[in-house]
Amino acid sequence: MQAVREGDLAQLGVLFDRHHRAVFDFLVRTTGQRAVAEDLVQDVFERILKHRATYRGEAGFRPWMFRIACNARSDYYRRSEPTASWSDELDGEDETPGPERQIEDANEAARLQRALLALRADKRELIVLARFSELKYEAIAQLLGTDVGTIKVRVHRALKELRDKFLSMETRLTCDVKTLPNGTPTI
Amino acid sequence: MRCEDIAERHADYLAGTLSEDERAAVQRHVAGCAACRRETESLGGIWTALKDVPVAPPDSRAMRARLDAAIAREAAATRPARGWQWNYALAAGVAVAALIGGVFLGRMGPAATPSTDVTALRDEVRDLRHMVALSLLQQQSASERLKGVSWSGQLEGPSDEIVTALLDTLRHDTNVNVRLASIDALKRVAGRDDVRSAAVEVLQTKASPLVQMALIDFVVETQDQDAVGVLRQLSDDSQSNQTVRTRAAWGLEHLGVKS
Repeated sequence: MQAVREGDLAQLGVLFDRHHRAVFDFLVRTTGQRAVAEDLVQDVFERILKHRATYRGEAGFRPWMFRIACNARSDYYRRSEPTASWSDELDGEDETPGPERQIEDANEAARLQRALLALRADKRELIVLARFSELKYEAIAQLLGTDVGTIKVRVHRALKELRDKFLSMETRLTCDVKTLPNGTPTI
Repeated sequence: MRCEDIAERHADYLAGTLSEDERAAVQRHVAGCAACRRETESLGGIWTALKDVPVAPPDSRAMRARLDAAIAREAAATRPARGWQWNYALAAGVAVAALIGGVFLGRMGPAATPSTDVTALRDEVRDLRHMVALSLLQQQSASERLKGVSWSGQLEGPSDEIVTALLDTLRHDTNVNVRLASIDALKRVAGRDDVRSAAVEVLQTKASPLVQMALIDFVVETQDQDAVGVLRQLSDDSQSNQTVRTRAAWGLEHLGVKS
């Protein structure tokens, strides 16, 4: 990233190759929408390009990149739904359950993803950051502008809520659905 | 260690960030406390199961092409007189020099010919620009196509061929950025029926939400009443992206349609 900051813009391609999957995973798990996630990944790396001069590197590239991803996601929802706030319930759930969704629910992994999407956006973001970003709680706390103790308490509470939602969801019947080779539907 | 202490340490316990001593203390308490054991096991189960929720890989190639286009734009903006721009700057320079030379020679020459020569040279310059734009629009690289769209948008009185190429880009280009740029370029010829109908046509396909949003802005800007049906459809469609639905409702409002 230092090289990009100093004007070697082609190096951003290397950073993209290394990190875009992690950003995409974060965005698709928190939005539940692949097309939006792909657009937002583009937005994240364009922001990195545009704001490269502001990179200081004290905490490393990854926390900085995830902070930009959180902002991009937040801005996307604020821009597209002026009346909704960042923490509104179900902001990733913009579709009523169609037949395909009902089929997906039959699978436990998909049911867990549904439960995750049913969490309030800030809780969902926290769980995804804690579980998938490979950032330590200290880095997440810094990224979200709070102290590490608060983050740990929030992770615990969000996880309990996720478990309760997951357990309350009923398994539905399954039929033809696009699956991975092991039979698990994909997001 | 008390039950409250266990709850405080759950996040670290699951993430594996407790010290060895603390981890052992948690495990000792859990072994003797059924309630904490159930809680730890169920949260641990969810924590583990989260990793089993698969995410299908994104279209990395297309995404990388989009980034390359952005890098090319940024590089062009920060180094305006280098790289590929030289070629076009040189071509444009030669054309301008030829034009000035033509004007000069025309003035020096017989009185009956100058306007014909100047017109011919202007036509040649315009043809050259059209040719460059068309050639770029057909490139394999998304960043080159993006330059082509940008080049086309700067043409005065784009030919039918250019407009057709831009419409083709809007309909079929695999890159969202290139399609978005084509919408901007087409705004200059928004009065044409084929352009307006193509905007409405693409709007009703399941395009990228960003493209749909840009097209909604386009039809509002051009006050295209033919788009009312599609906007209403999008606004009412519960399967559509919520952002697009909200924007479509906004579009209807701005086209004077009461909800």
